Amino acid sequence: MAEGDREPLAGAGTLREALRALLPPTKEELTLQLGERVERSVVRLLQEAVELFCGGRGGECLQASEAILDYSWEKLNTGPWRDVHRDWRRVYAFGCLLKAVCLCEEPGDAGAVAAALRVCDMGLLMGAAILGDILTKVAAVLQAHLPSGKRPAPGPAQEQPHEKKARHDRVWIPDVRSERTVPRLRCPSLQHFRKHFLVPGRPVILEGVADQWPCMKKWSLEYIQDVAGCRTVPVEVGSRYTDEEWSQTLMTVNEFISKYIRDEPRDVGYLAQHQLFDQIPELKRDISIPDYCCLGDGDEEEITINAWFGPQGTVSPLHQDPQQNFLVQVTGRKYIRLYSPQESEALYPHDTHLLHNTSQVDVENPDLEKFPKFAEAPFLSCILSPGEILFIPVKYWHYVRALDLSFSVSFWWS
Amino acid sequence: GGGQQRAPPEHGRGAPRILVRLRFLRLRAGAGLGARAPGAQPRAAADPGRGRGRGRLPRERELELHRLRDPPLSVPTGGGRLELSGSAGCAAGGCRDAWASEALLVVLRAGPGRGSGTELQAWAPGSALSGEPLWAHTVGPEAEGEDAPGGEPQAGALPLLPGGRAYVSPRPPFYSPLAPELRARRLELGAEHALLLDEAGQVFSWGQGRHGQLGHGTLEAELEPRPLEALQGVPMAEVAAGGWHSVCVSETGDIYIWGWNESGQLALPSRSLAEVGKTAAGEASGLKEDGCDVRTAEGESGGLAPFIAIQPFPALLDLPPGTDAVKASCGSRHTAVVTRTGELYTWGWGKYGQLGHKDTSSLDRPRRVEYFVDRRLQSGCPSLRSHPLCTRVGSFFSTSSPTPVVSCVVDFSCSDRCEVTSPLWF
Repeated sequence: MAEGDREPLAGAGTLREALRALLPPTKEELTLQLGERVERSVVRLLQEAVELFCGGRGGECLQASEAILDYSWEKLNTGPWRDVHRDWRRVYAFGCLLKAVCLCEEPGDAGAVAAALRVCDMGLLMGAAILGDILTKVAAVLQAHLPSGKRPAPGPAQEQPHEKKARHDRVWIPDVRSERTVPRLRCPSLQHFRKHFLVPGRPVILEGVADQWPCMKKWSLEYIQDVAGCRTVPVEVGSRYTDEEWSQTLMTVNEFISKYIRDEPRDVGYLAQHQLFDQIPELKRDISIPDYCCLGDGDEEEITINAWFGPQGTVSPLHQDPQQNFLVQVTGRKYIRLYSPQESEALYPHDTHLLHNTSQVDVENPDLEKFPKFAEAPFLSCILSPGEILFIPVKYWHYVRALDLSFSVSFWWS
Repeated sequence: GGGQQRAPPEHGRGAPRILVRLRFLRLRAGAGLGARAPGAQPRAAADPGRGRGRGRLPRERELELHRLRDPPLSVPTGGGRLELSGSAGCAAGGCRDAWASEALLVVLRAGPGRGSGTELQAWAPGSALSGEPLWAHTVGPEAEGEDAPGGEPQAGALPLLPGGRAYVSPRPPFYSPLAPELRARRLELGAEHALLLDEAGQVFSWGQGRHGQLGHGTLEAELEPRPLEALQGVPMAEVAAGGWHSVCVSETGDIYIWGWNESGQLALPSRSLAEVGKTAAGEASGLKEDGCDVRTAEGESGGLAPFIAIQPFPALLDLPPGTDAVKASCGSRHTAVVTRTGELYTWGWGKYGQLGHKDTSSLDRPRRVEYFVDRRLQSGCPSLRSHPLCTRVGSFFSTSSPTPVVSCVVDFSCSDRCEVTSPLWF
């Protein structure tokens, strides 16, 4: 089935039923409880949209939800993100919900379902959870109803990308034997880890902890495409985020893989720092939370889990984070260099507010005339391989380069 | 949804980044920031005698305009109903000036007794100016006396208060003092920034800078009014602030523009419009200032077209040769300019017909609104002289005719929504 085909879906009726089943049955329950920050006129608009929806006036409801989305989008773009009131994000999510469902109301075409799924993903990316995390469920239903032509056939005879790459690129593998390496431990006890690494803030590689997670065996390109291919995700384009040419864009996972992994990419694309496992719960079942996280103060819900998926050559410039980090390597290898926070002066952080946690120095090609102290700063390094977990203490400076097609999962905890 | 721009992480890789939430900014690291002066040469003054006077409507006409935005008003438009949102219609006595936003209606009223100055009142939009205002503040008589000769405070200056010593905003702090040294003549508020024009024609800006709307060449915020060095030496006659962009008009009729270009509101090539096939990139786009272009993409013609997401310092805009701008106004994501010969140009976000070009397309270059050319307005209302008032999704233009003209109004709360994409006599 070609893209944008106008054939009605077989089973369009079942899609409508499945979506209706997810929605609250009454108008009252399909209403958000909002605080004072949201103006009365917007509250009225939301009510009106619900009325239209429940009254079967899908076309007008679609118009109303566009207005809801346009208005709340402007609120989401006003002021620093952390100051955006959660209620506006909920309004945005609500607009996405109505729009997505309305798009599927008619006996639609395959394009409508894909568009509706994209709208859900926007609501998941920018919005906040509403109605019992309904957008995740709607997205799952939509995904299941995409015609099979949209989901790439899990194929035999698919050339492994890393083979293809190896023909064209010679990756520079640092000789870590000449550098001080991160110590490795096999399944240390909680107490041992806390006493010798967490409390003093020292990096360590944990072996034997994650190597049996289902992701280690299951995650291949084909599997990722099967589970998440049609979902919209943010992708960073450009060698590193400190570059002028760096930018961020949205695309489906399928598009990302074909453009930046398979087909001789012109640019470096990186699906980085994205909470993919909130968006696609099915993938979350393939990972676990390292037990050592319970040594922290927060709840399990407060742990931020990010996916890092990209081709060989992606780089995260030297920077520090305000939380503890377990970096789990699933596929491929990464070269990682670590500098203690005590060396911060020798790392020349940017003085702008936006980049104050990022070093100006290009770690593997430093300008020592401009940054002389960098040459003497001591560091640890390693090549992190599948199944291994690197503990990066809070505020520890780290630089990461992917040596192969790579998938990592990071856990930020406090 | 947003366009494709670029952003640095808010707190590095650690905290939730604005990127992930798709609020993209352009990053110019290191020495690139602010190092380049615009280098644009303003056109030679075509009419040295032209002063800064702005043709304004009489005061009561302005109040009618503001009030029209508030009360629900039904006007049959041959097939659809046009309604305006807001409070019930009301007559507010003794109002000298009014200023409306979604959250707040601010009115400047004569105080109770003679010589007791003027009172600034803030009302909830739905209150119909009855009951008690949300808050009130007396503007002392001494502030008024400093204004125009004759002692009357200049109307139409809100949110700048008479005397230029303070301004109001719809968000806390609602009432903000300004340093008297600033000699403020005009003040405009964007979604997260402020522009100020002083008596000497110098432009200042402050607030959030993440979208380049401050014009200082960086993405950093400014807490205090900071003069735009790039515009020093070019006296400005008007300023206007959109949601995330800024415009000013020089005394010689040139337009300078900067900030966010996600819908083409800067009249610079916009990637998001290109993806819909609507950008002017590939043609001469009138870009005088090589602000921040970086990414090039192949246009449909196969040529390279630079896209500008954020312009962090002023760019000189090209209107057709010989046209001088008189007044500019900005909606949240669109821009309107009136020329000395009474023509109206609009560009930017057009999804709700707010550009007045009979369609719902966005534009990333200026286009003349043909309505006013076609209609040959009668003498007595020869042309658009002033006061385009742009709201989020609508534009209001007043002429010297008795009734103002409405371009498009969409009220988020009315039931019979109607898009009017051509100017409509009210």
